[in-house]
Amino acid sequence: MSKFTKAFLFASIIFAPFIANAVTVASWGGAYTESQQKAYADTYSDPSSIVFENYNGGLGETRAQVESGNVTWDLVDVLPADAITGCDEGLFEDISSEIASMGVPGPNGESIAEDMEANGLNYHSGWDCCVPQIFWTYVVFYDPDAFPGEKPDSMADFFDVEKFPGKRGIHTWADGIIQKALVADGVAPNAVPTVFANQTGAIDRAFEVMDKIKDHVVFWSAGSQPLELVKSGEVVMAVAYNGRVGAANLAEGENFEYIWEGQVLDQEYLCLTTGAPNREAALDFMMHASSPASQAEQAKYITYGPMRASGIPIIEANEPWGPGGVDIMPHMPNTPERLKVSIVNDPQWWSDNGAEISERYSAWMGN
Amino acid sequence: MPIGDMLFRSVDDSQINSVFPNTFNEYKKWDKEKDELPPEEVYKALFEELAYGEKIQIGRALTRMNYSKSGWKSLIKTTSREIKKAVKKDELPNNYKDFLITANEKWADPTFWYAMGQMVNDTTPIYYWNALDRTYDQDQNVIMQDENRRIYIKTWIKTLKISVYVTIFCLILGFPVAHLLANLPLRYSNLLMIFVLLPFWTSLLVRTTAWIVMLQQNGVINGILVWLGILNDDGRLQLVYNETGTLIAMTQILLPFMILPLYSVMRVIPKSHMRAAQNLGAKPAAAFWRVYLPQTIPGMSAGGLLVFVLAIGYFITPELVGGKDGKLIGHWIAYHLKTTLNWGLCAALGAILLGVMLIFYWLYNKIVGIDNIKLG
Repeated sequence: MSKFTKAFLFASIIFAPFIANAVTVASWGGAYTESQQKAYADTYSDPSSIVFENYNGGLGETRAQVESGNVTWDLVDVLPADAITGCDEGLFEDISSEIASMGVPGPNGESIAEDMEANGLNYHSGWDCCVPQIFWTYVVFYDPDAFPGEKPDSMADFFDVEKFPGKRGIHTWADGIIQKALVADGVAPNAVPTVFANQTGAIDRAFEVMDKIKDHVVFWSAGSQPLELVKSGEVVMAVAYNGRVGAANLAEGENFEYIWEGQVLDQEYLCLTTGAPNREAALDFMMHASSPASQAEQAKYITYGPMRASGIPIIEANEPWGPGGVDIMPHMPNTPERLKVSIVNDPQWWSDNGAEISERYSAWMGN
Repeated sequence: MPIGDMLFRSVDDSQINSVFPNTFNEYKKWDKEKDELPPEEVYKALFEELAYGEKIQIGRALTRMNYSKSGWKSLIKTTSREIKKAVKKDELPNNYKDFLITANEKWADPTFWYAMGQMVNDTTPIYYWNALDRTYDQDQNVIMQDENRRIYIKTWIKTLKISVYVTIFCLILGFPVAHLLANLPLRYSNLLMIFVLLPFWTSLLVRTTAWIVMLQQNGVINGILVWLGILNDDGRLQLVYNETGTLIAMTQILLPFMILPLYSVMRVIPKSHMRAAQNLGAKPAAAFWRVYLPQTIPGMSAGGLLVFVLAIGYFITPELVGGKDGKLIGHWIAYHLKTTLNWGLCAALGAILLGVMLIFYWLYNKIVGIDNIKLG
């Protein structure tokens, strides 16, 4: 054994316990993970015990870890459809009783589930393995300077290139935009998920609406791109993650306008991996991260809304809540009046139909 | 090993068969000509296997079932809930068929039952058929996928086309550069070499993003063309977020893989060969064509094979600049690996990619000979 190998082995014996005790959280990176670091980890009793690792979404890595028995991620930050599939497949551990008994209650004793229901969500199997985090949305935004006269303010305007000429920026996957298309066609935003689930031909109808703008679209695939597209004038309006638009407005001095109508509200969860090496510590951190106070705290650093309804009053009561004395509520996607014009994504329907629709969407894009 | 595992996964369907063995056994006895819906025994077996099966194994089977037809997941889940309730109350139905159809009317929809036919065997070629835009009809005959879902054949052709184009463009652009590098005096060629290597060492993401800045409609290239009056302001070219963007960016990014092997081969070709050829009466063009070029073939083939193999599986660059129609097959492999968890289809796509690569390798060996390859 060479000296170097010995030193290495020695070092790994010394440091291994410290590394092994840290709870590893896989999350999306960028400003989002930074906000989690500040709102969840820095406010935690032992901040140094939480380590964030970046990943790119999906359950691929989690499934590989669980199947091989070599689990390194204690917690994974996932989209609702992945929370459902992961929980059904046993990639995430069913901790429904722990969530019920250990979850931090709201000011009036609301449980985590009650808080989510108050926000208009329905139970799905993801709730058994995961705790809620934030609402994020696909929202349309534009630079008001691009429209000197009348400004667009509805989905119908977004899909009307004669009234508001110029290119549109749209993502290269289906879920946000095909639901907005139905709103442009006159369906009430709140009714869109049920129309998709129950009316045959609803998907065809959405594609017909999208055909109207197809020749005027620039397709983006990374969250930072729509901001660049609008800033550079490449497009006049774009669909984007609202947190990105909020960051541009609050931190970079941009003056983008949102079109809240037809925003597609989606959920985000923190789930416990089956066989997590630091299960107890991870559970404890999950409860801290899903408390109303932590969720409200997160809004300080990124403009995503708390999924627990009791997080909102904390923000409202303490405005200006944002950095440098800015009001945050104008940028929150889930205020009561905005919820009225929102589409609340139905993750169960998407986990049934997502694959087929995304193939169809790709065929549509490429033709 | 990993390749073996991949090939195995691409045909393996044993997990779901271990969850629903009796249902599938009974299913195979169903005479589709005679009865519109499967017989009572199938419904009964399904009821029992859902009632007493292991929850997690059923969950994994659900993911699999959804590949054959959208809607399986919620169909089984809502049904399971009803079954669990009935079992808890100890109320086993007299007629299982009626019970399931009451629990969810989709059990009376023969298309779900037809789709089940795709998974009743331990091994299946269905993933390969899916990877080629094909599926099964009710009698397990191979038919084309619905027209608006056909994407894979198109993507395969596009992947091959772009890989071939990128290889050809790299050769056309790389050959003169390598020639110059090999024949300039050392101090100039070293400087030039740095210009080749610097981008090579720069992060892939940085270079890809730089191309977006260059190529977008308000970008550098369109700006210059408009300023020169070649284009008017409304006629700006769409150079990125489509196939053109993928082609341009990939060519630049893979160029060093062509230049470096060419350079190392050209450097050792003695200059005296060209002089001797011309001495013996060949015109410069003929001397180049008949004496110089054949000696560079090992470098061209090494570079060509490298670029082609890298291009065919390329992911990040097409993903970012590809936009509406510039995405290659790697996009779908990543999508099914991460989002739909359809690892069978992933493995089939990967196996086909491997097969295509081997075919090209074989062709190459026939035409050029693999011993002829040289990296320096």
